[in-house]
Amino acid sequence: MNITLIKTIPNILKFPAANSARLLHLTAVSNKNQAGRYKNTPRKNFPLTYEMANPPHQIAHRKSWNSWNTSNVEGGNRPSETAVEDQFIRKFVQGTWHALFVSEIIIKRQHNLIRIAGLVHRGVMPRKMYFLIGYTEEFLSFWLQCPIKMELQSVADKRHVVFKYV
Amino acid sequence: MFKMNIPGAFLRRSYRLKCTKCLGRSLSTATEEKIEIPARIERGPTDILRALESTITRDITAAHYKYHDDPYLLPMNNLAKRSFAMAQEAGRKAAHWVRSQHPELFNHQECDPPIEAFFPKMVYNENSEVTEEDLKNVIDRAQVSDAILINNLLKAKGLEITNETKQSLLELLCYNNSEDILDEEFIEERWFKQSSGIKDRQRKTWKDASAAEEIFISIDKPTSDSYSAIIQGMAKFNQAARAYQLLEEAQEKGFELNIHAYNSIIKCANFIKENYDLRWSFIVNMLERIKQAGLKPNLGTLNAVLFTLSTMVNSRMVKDFALKTLNEFKSLDIEPSLGSWYYILITFCKDRGPRSAVLKNILNEIENKNHKIQDLSDTHFFVTAMDIAHHHLNDISVGQRLHKLLLFGNNYDLIGDSYKESIYYRHYFSLVLSNVPLQDFMESMYNKLVPNIYVPEPSVMREVIKQIELNALIEYIPRIWSDIIVFNQHNREDLLNLILSVMVDNKPKQDTELVEKFANIGWDIYETIDGQNQERYSNLQFTGDLLGKIMIVLLRNDNFEKACTVMNKLDHQHQSIVGVPCFEALSLFVDHCIKNKAPSRAIECIQYASDSGFPDIITLGAKLNEQLTLDEKHLNRLSKFVDLKLS
Repeated sequence: MNITLIKTIPNILKFPAANSARLLHLTAVSNKNQAGRYKNTPRKNFPLTYEMANPPHQIAHRKSWNSWNTSNVEGGNRPSETAVEDQFIRKFVQGTWHALFVSEIIIKRQHNLIRIAGLVHRGVMPRKMYFLIGYTEEFLSFWLQCPIKMELQSVADKRHVVFKYV
Repeated sequence: MFKMNIPGAFLRRSYRLKCTKCLGRSLSTATEEKIEIPARIERGPTDILRALESTITRDITAAHYKYHDDPYLLPMNNLAKRSFAMAQEAGRKAAHWVRSQHPELFNHQECDPPIEAFFPKMVYNENSEVTEEDLKNVIDRAQVSDAILINNLLKAKGLEITNETKQSLLELLCYNNSEDILDEEFIEERWFKQSSGIKDRQRKTWKDASAAEEIFISIDKPTSDSYSAIIQGMAKFNQAARAYQLLEEAQEKGFELNIHAYNSIIKCANFIKENYDLRWSFIVNMLERIKQAGLKPNLGTLNAVLFTLSTMVNSRMVKDFALKTLNEFKSLDIEPSLGSWYYILITFCKDRGPRSAVLKNILNEIENKNHKIQDLSDTHFFVTAMDIAHHHLNDISVGQRLHKLLLFGNNYDLIGDSYKESIYYRHYFSLVLSNVPLQDFMESMYNKLVPNIYVPEPSVMREVIKQIELNALIEYIPRIWSDIIVFNQHNREDLLNLILSVMVDNKPKQDTELVEKFANIGWDIYETIDGQNQERYSNLQFTGDLLGKIMIVLLRNDNFEKACTVMNKLDHQHQSIVGVPCFEALSLFVDHCIKNKAPSRAIECIQYASDSGFPDIITLGAKLNEQLTLDEKHLNRLSKFVDLKLS
């Protein structure tokens, strides 16, 4: 084996130091959009809801937003607070309604009213669901200090919200 | 001169003055057409919302809006209505509890301006630093136990509080009997709470030597207001004797009590005086005193007098007094409230008394008017009036006028609570049911009000089924049965028996859908009783009669297999099943055995009939023998209990 050839390899791999970061950033691999997209599984048995099946660029075309508010229009109030609060609401509801929500949690704000919508599956008795509704509404209104309403629809089976398997 | 064309209203006053000066009377026509700008009406912040709301009536096709609009979450029967609404409130209470356990986590302020209801409540204990200001705050918010605590702390510290604060604290404690009351926020609990007041109304509930009395004693120079407050408190919770004693004491000392104190004493007349005559003279005496004190009686006085009269025994005199009282107050320009009419109703329409049409006259008086609550007893009016329209008068037109009044404006607010509401509808339903044709009832009432407004109780359901039988409108039976299931009344033995006997006695025409539907209902009933949990406290039991009826409805639809199951049940659990089926059922079963060529089943049935002691089994055996050719074995079995040679 030609020893000089081996010696040249590191030089080929070497990039000009100043441009290295930018070059890596611009490669096709790195530039690939991944967020909100699901890869096929080997057995094709991973369930997706309609919302999950549509990648983010379909928002406003085939699907809609999960947060509805006017914080981010020009002159809107409290943009960062709204985002953080919405995330808090999602975490709180996910945890309180453990394994019951089968859709994204949609948060709609009008004036000082926050409406929380979503699909729940009928995993618990209606009576317990009413308890959770009362608890969530009251607790979140203490936390966010404005009226909160839950607007739920129930589905009999989790499979009813499956749009396709990947 | 161009000014002549300008309408007068547009001329400023100065112009007009100038014009009249220079032009004299020639302008008088122009000034006449003045545009009247109406005086500004002060509007509250919610007036527009109220105006909008008044255009909406209750949607009878939907459940109440407190329930979630989802098929899984909509309540279908009374139990569900109650438990769902209460569960939601329990959830809210849980959130309140979490907040009270961790108040330090809820100290942030998002809302602007601050809304107090969202912030954790102040907690006071023995070590709190309190001032009179705190006491005033908790009195404003009607937190009774906190007020008592703070008052004690202030006393321990030796801080003097002003007489004004003391008076308002006394009033708070007297009003609430020194007890915390249910938070106004929890409306469902208030709505569903059984009216437990009935018992409390009869006996003394005032707490003797309570905080209220301590405060009263601690006031150095009691005023007429403090006397009035303590008298009202004692009278409200039926500590009548001491209230009266204090009233005398106050008058001896020359205090001028307010009218409410007198009203509350009049309401206590029953406790103070034994005899009816004495009570009446007591009332007259009190009214005299009001006159002497120069006070003007109010609605409370009227209601107190009528209340005392309504508790007296039924006599001509009492009615006269009641009418006189009404007249007297009418001349004082005091309009009776619904509560006054309620007392009049119970005075005039006693259970065993003669029939009185006073309700009609009352309705003439109050119809087509919007009523507001003015007295606690106002909420008793509708339920009592409907009771009287039903039991006392049994007059459908009165019932319908009353219901129209209830739906007028915001009068529905006066229905009271869920308990009163359901009794009201129970009377209304029974009244209409017995007075209009069943079809009209089903269309105009049942289909509209059930189940969103009212879920009939089993007793009303029973009446509906009886009416169905009377009118021979058996096509309603399947509908009623499905409602019975939805309302969770299918574990009521009387309802099951009734609906089965109606189905058996009213045989539908052969080959109609009804035959099949009836058979399905029969099978439903069988499965309900058969499949129930054995460990339940009150289990339904099969009776022979019930099973026989089920068998008849099944066989009319040629459900031979299912009928066999029922027959097996009868046969095998002979020991535990009470009673025997009717002979018709057994005979029908044998007929069907012949039709289906099942001799051994027929023989079992005949054996059962023989064991049960029916005398007519010979005809059954003969019928079987004639219409089916039986083999040796069957003949042998049959001959064991039927003497075939005789036939």
